[in-house]
Amino acid sequence: MLQQYSEQAGGQKIEIHSSNHSFALWRLLLYATADFPAWGDPNSPANSYLSPHYIQKSIEETGVPNLVTSVLADYRGFDTMFETAVVFCAGLACFLLLRNFKQKEENFYRHIPTGVIIQFKKGDKTLPVGKEFEHIDTEWIPYDLIIKTVCRILIPFIQLYALYVVAHGDFSPGGGFQGGVIFGSSLMLYAIAYNLRTLVQRVKEKLLGLFCAIGVLIYAGIGVVCMALGGNFLDYGKLSQILPVDPGHIRAYGMLGVEIGVGITVMAAMVIIYVNIVSIGRHDEGL
Amino acid sequence: MINTNYPAILVLSPLLAALMCSIFSWCAKKLCYPTAIISLGISLYASIEVLMQVMDTGTIQYRMAGWAPPMGIEYRIDLLNAIVLLLVISIALINLVASYQSVNQEIGKKSNTFYAIYLLFVTGLVGITATGDLFNLYVLLEITSLTSYAQIAMGDKDRGPLASLNYVFIGVIGASFYLLGVGYIYIMTGSLNMVDVASLLPSLHGSSAVLVAFIFCMLGIWIKMALFPLHVWLPNAYTYAPTVVSRILAPLMTKVMVYVMIRLMITVFGFEYLFEKLNLAEAVVWLATIAILAGAIMAMAQKDLKKMLTYIIVCEIGYMVGGAWLGNELGMTGAILHIVNDALMTFALFLALGNIVYKLKSVHFDNLKGLFGKMPWTMAGFVLGAFSIIGIPPTCGFFSKWYLILGAFEKGAYHFAGALIISSLLCAVLFFRIFEIGFFNNEHDEHNTITMSEAPVSMLIPLGLVSLSLIITGLYSSSIVNKIILPFLQ
Repeated sequence: MLQQYSEQAGGQKIEIHSSNHSFALWRLLLYATADFPAWGDPNSPANSYLSPHYIQKSIEETGVPNLVTSVLADYRGFDTMFETAVVFCAGLACFLLLRNFKQKEENFYRHIPTGVIIQFKKGDKTLPVGKEFEHIDTEWIPYDLIIKTVCRILIPFIQLYALYVVAHGDFSPGGGFQGGVIFGSSLMLYAIAYNLRTLVQRVKEKLLGLFCAIGVLIYAGIGVVCMALGGNFLDYGKLSQILPVDPGHIRAYGMLGVEIGVGITVMAAMVIIYVNIVSIGRHDEGL
Repeated sequence: MINTNYPAILVLSPLLAALMCSIFSWCAKKLCYPTAIISLGISLYASIEVLMQVMDTGTIQYRMAGWAPPMGIEYRIDLLNAIVLLLVISIALINLVASYQSVNQEIGKKSNTFYAIYLLFVTGLVGITATGDLFNLYVLLEITSLTSYAQIAMGDKDRGPLASLNYVFIGVIGASFYLLGVGYIYIMTGSLNMVDVASLLPSLHGSSAVLVAFIFCMLGIWIKMALFPLHVWLPNAYTYAPTVVSRILAPLMTKVMVYVMIRLMITVFGFEYLFEKLNLAEAVVWLATIAILAGAIMAMAQKDLKKMLTYIIVCEIGYMVGGAWLGNELGMTGAILHIVNDALMTFALFLALGNIVYKLKSVHFDNLKGLFGKMPWTMAGFVLGAFSIIGIPPTCGFFSKWYLILGAFEKGAYHFAGALIISSLLCAVLFFRIFEIGFFNNEHDEHNTITMSEAPVSMLIPLGLVSLSLIITGLYSSSIVNKIILPFLQ
């Protein structure tokens, strides 16, 4: 019955094959779980081998109350640096593959007092129009007072909250990745509430490109400074030679530094990806 | 102080240079290319120093952030890593020099930003090779994959993005299989450090979870290295990539994955587990045999030189996987020696291919007529590379095949030895067909005399160096085996 059906519809056949494969994988996974330690078992290897060290020693060794941050940014900080590089790489790839420097062929200008729309073909550059005209998207959306006003009020608070999340990463849940995403989303909200052109004019592409690289550079740079001061790469303890702070908390300051780097890169990469995807790389109009 | 930090400098120098290139591409475009060259130069110097240190004093351990191994991440460089690191970085550097004009021709305006992503790709490969931590390896695998997807999509305008998308789908499955395997290992042992895991595993040899972890790790890596039934992404991805990218992907990406497989087999799971507890070895050698034959036969069907070479890569993967899974010292020696040799000879062939593409644009067989007259130096390099793939004695390809065949006979795997010999013959047919087209199939029109139009000198010198290195490596292969591979295996 199933086979008859699959002969009728060409696409169905593939689905049957793939379900067989996923069934085999599912059985393999099930076979493995038979041997797993019990759910939540405090004596399982994952809970009893390295975790006690992190839980008991991390405040003493790193001076950071948030264990997640201390594992993420210190014990396994080298991994996190490359995770940040992955984000940087995503932004870079979006720029390389999508960015199109050709300007679009048509431009639309709206005469504000009368509402007449003028279309210019083959206008390579934006025309120097006076205050009576505005440069508009192909699909013009009327001015919306409520959305724009609410966003204008909200955006500064979102950004402030983003900075809080970055700065408090070592005390409470949060950190560079989360804070960077929140900050980036505030800029996207700006683009959605107004239009893409307004965002691109205010936050220049060059600035975003530089920030995206500088964030990772801060992270790796802190590591290199530690190396230059005689330690291993990312050994924050050595920073106490140049920073006039309590040596017990020096690793926490190192972590704060790298979290700031992560935040900058994530923020810039989010906006680069958004702007390039919605405008198909032209940076003129989009969502 | 610097002496102890070489393992970190290896990977940091290209990473920092990638970031600087990205910054310079906005404000000082002229500095991008020199930055890339200098950083890879520093990295090359560090890799030579590391190799010397390892040969003098044994394995180097480097603690990232200063934490002791199971807690923190460790770089662990022994003889096998050291030689693969030297190979990766020197090929990346030579390729960057050789491909300068080709990048300008094919990528044009965005070439400055392109160097940033190229350097990130090299960072990923170097990191994968140097690390001693299973999860760190995954993170760098992710960087390598992401950058290679982006680089491939910058190639052929019509087919490049599609080929890259296929690679994305399959590559992501491969990487997540590997991650799943590592997750299972962590559940069972609680550790991610390779040496530490290796010391914890023997008590868990009967465990089904460890078996599944092993299967997932191997499947993931086989997908990434394009072992025969899992190879479908490779030919298109490498064919439609820009010249500079296929020149580095073809020799390095698959070979580094073979290195990862050997590292997992020897350092993490151990020979005792693989060949005494599991009964998989014979099946894998059969799989490799089929891969060798299938790769060679599919190469016969191609009408485009670049695509033909990509199928030869599929065939060569079979050599190394089969050799490693023979389970004896000769086979493993052959597999490791073949990582070095195959990287060099594939690189030589793709350098020559890049020169031809630079001049002719298309490398369809019809366009190759009279090529020996047009580009004699390029073709000389190509012939040396081809001889090495076929396995003609003074070139290095012969020696690794010799070890592989000896290993196969010692094990009694006559099918594998047979496949090696048949594929060598098939490769001979493949390449002599190209030679025939290039030498004899001239246009019969008397007026249309062939004029010499050779690639620029900056592309010819690297090709010359690499093709000479094929003979030199061949002549010195006994010392590579005696000083590096055998001490590592003991």
